[in-house]
Amino acid sequence: MSFKLSADGVKYVQNELTRYESKQSAIIRALYRGQDENGGWVSPDVVAELSRVMDIPASQIEEVSTFYTMFNKQPVGKYHIQVCCTLTCGMLGGRELTDAMMKEAGCKTYGDVSPDGLFTFNKVECLGSCDTAPMLQINRDPYIESLNTEKGLQLVRDLRAKGGRQ
Amino acid sequence: MADNTTHSNTGRAGTEPTEAKPVEAPKMLKAKINGVDVEVKAGTSIIEAFHQNGQSIAHYCWHPGLSVAGVCRLCMVEIEGNPRLQIACNTAVTEGMVVNNASEKVKEAVKWGLDFHLINHPLDCPICDQAGECGLQDQYMAYGKYDPEMAERKVKKHKVVDLGPRVVLDTERCILCSRCVRFTDEVSKSNELGIFNRGDRAEIGTFDGKPLNNNYSTNVVDICPVGALTSKDFRFRQRVWFLREHNTICTGCSTGCNTRAFYNKEGVFRIKPNYHKDVNGYWMCDVGRDVYKFANKEARLLDARVRGEWMVPSLAAKKTGEALRGGGNKVAFVVTGQYTNEEYDALLGFAKNEVGTSNVFHWINNPETIEAFDGLLLRGDRNPNTRGLMDRLASSSLSAKWPELVQGLTSGAITTVVVAGPENQSQFPDLKAKIMELSKAAKLVWLQAGKNDQLEALDGDVTLIPLKTYLEKDGTFVNYKGIAQTVKKGLSIVPASLSITEVVELMRGAPAVEAPSDVDQVGVGRIYNEFTLVRGNL
Repeated sequence: MSFKLSADGVKYVQNELTRYESKQSAIIRALYRGQDENGGWVSPDVVAELSRVMDIPASQIEEVSTFYTMFNKQPVGKYHIQVCCTLTCGMLGGRELTDAMMKEAGCKTYGDVSPDGLFTFNKVECLGSCDTAPMLQINRDPYIESLNTEKGLQLVRDLRAKGGRQ
Repeated sequence: MADNTTHSNTGRAGTEPTEAKPVEAPKMLKAKINGVDVEVKAGTSIIEAFHQNGQSIAHYCWHPGLSVAGVCRLCMVEIEGNPRLQIACNTAVTEGMVVNNASEKVKEAVKWGLDFHLINHPLDCPICDQAGECGLQDQYMAYGKYDPEMAERKVKKHKVVDLGPRVVLDTERCILCSRCVRFTDEVSKSNELGIFNRGDRAEIGTFDGKPLNNNYSTNVVDICPVGALTSKDFRFRQRVWFLREHNTICTGCSTGCNTRAFYNKEGVFRIKPNYHKDVNGYWMCDVGRDVYKFANKEARLLDARVRGEWMVPSLAAKKTGEALRGGGNKVAFVVTGQYTNEEYDALLGFAKNEVGTSNVFHWINNPETIEAFDGLLLRGDRNPNTRGLMDRLASSSLSAKWPELVQGLTSGAITTVVVAGPENQSQFPDLKAKIMELSKAAKLVWLQAGKNDQLEALDGDVTLIPLKTYLEKDGTFVNYKGIAQTVKKGLSIVPASLSITEVVELMRGAPAVEAPSDVDQVGVGRIYNEFTLVRGNL
């Protein structure tokens, strides 16, 4: 098994297990932790490791991880950019914004990792911020709102500069 | 099925009952199902009440041996006073409840439920192994829309997924009833299966391609209401409507699961479990699924063999009897736990009275693992009737121990050995060694259903007599718990073969007759489809 939760991660997951009536209820929290520690995606190793730590059959953890779209089943770039394309954002240019940003970042398709390993783009359903459409979310950070193409492209450039420095 | 009758004093947090209270009679509830008055125990679900009273109700996900999932939405019933239809599997019967599943409203709901199940179903019945015993086909005959209004493109999913050593999965055919998932969670407790992804892309599968590899895996094939899970052993070998059923007992171990064998004129093709409350519940193990292969003609000894010459079995038995009678303690009998009480009675009686020997030995095939138990059904004692044999040996005060046989053979005190050998040879790891050991006797008489090259190659005074298998004779097996269960003759695969009882009668001097002409013979190939005669002109 190539993935191991950090000591803090194990402590976190074990604490989550005590918070609910059933152990299964802690699976989502544990998967988030595993995804974060594994560079943004849930590999089979992550599921196997959580199964070991939580003492829950791997199949049951896999059921949860495949049910929810917030868990990435493939590697993603350092910045996983989720652009809302539901009604309001869609009408105000969410899809065109995504296309432009992807072109700038060098991603060919949704879910693709850019050659520099920094970016992955996905269209997502409504994130509940229609008043500031179009908007997007990077990883699990606060929303970036009231976008237009120029702001979007600038965002990609800024992130590239920032990501490159680190 | 959850026992819902003991809610009263089974308190949770460690409150142990201080004194034994008299067992209260379960509270009975009166209700009305489709106009028929019924009475059920408190806590019974509506679907259980339907089944207890012989009423039929459409359902996929509910199974009496599993927890309630309530996902197929097919067991809809109308409850008087309730404006909405309810699912019968997850609604308990209450006093005075009036239920029906015959109204137009219910039929309409089931019809649409079924149509939704079929949205992504590939309808590949012509190449599907489940055809003929498929829940979708059965329910569609009763509730089909026959004018589907689903115009969407079907979602393509994985076909012919190799799930494990015994099971193949077709995810397109699956209706996601989750029976198999609950089975691996609740019964086999091996947790291999899960439902991955969601919505119309949801599929049954195993985590990271791990195989479904437990000794109970084929049960998921039985409980799958559609053709999603099929058995590798049975796939494409026969159409189910060409098979007949014969209720019998599994002889694979001392549990004695109730089973039924499916056969036709081409042989026996598969074994499925029958429900028995005290023996096996609804399930059986995969080892037991193979307990038909040794019965088929290709594995059988077809004729008797005396000193290397083939002979009619009844003649061989009669001749052997003449040589054995009055042989005294020079003759030893070796008996395995594979035969019926009636056969033991005949053989032990013959040994004691006509032969006059007390040398009767119990061949225990796997003394090291005989006490093993997998916690569910399979026992280490791979004989159906060890208990019956031990009882009979004890009551005839026959208590010879194996070393005495070895010693007798070496010293020459025992010159003749009669062996009631294993019917299920694959479960006798010591078979080779025992044949070597016993063939030291000057005269060896070996009774056995299956063929064995090592036996047939023996030189000298060796007699092999073909026996009937458990599918071909009447008799009683006593399982490890002491439950006596009877098997009935269902079919005849090698008509010339004999039961031990018949062998003993011939040895006692009964006239040898030609093999009886059995009506229900198998193994001659299908000449015409005999089932069209049953169905009439259709």
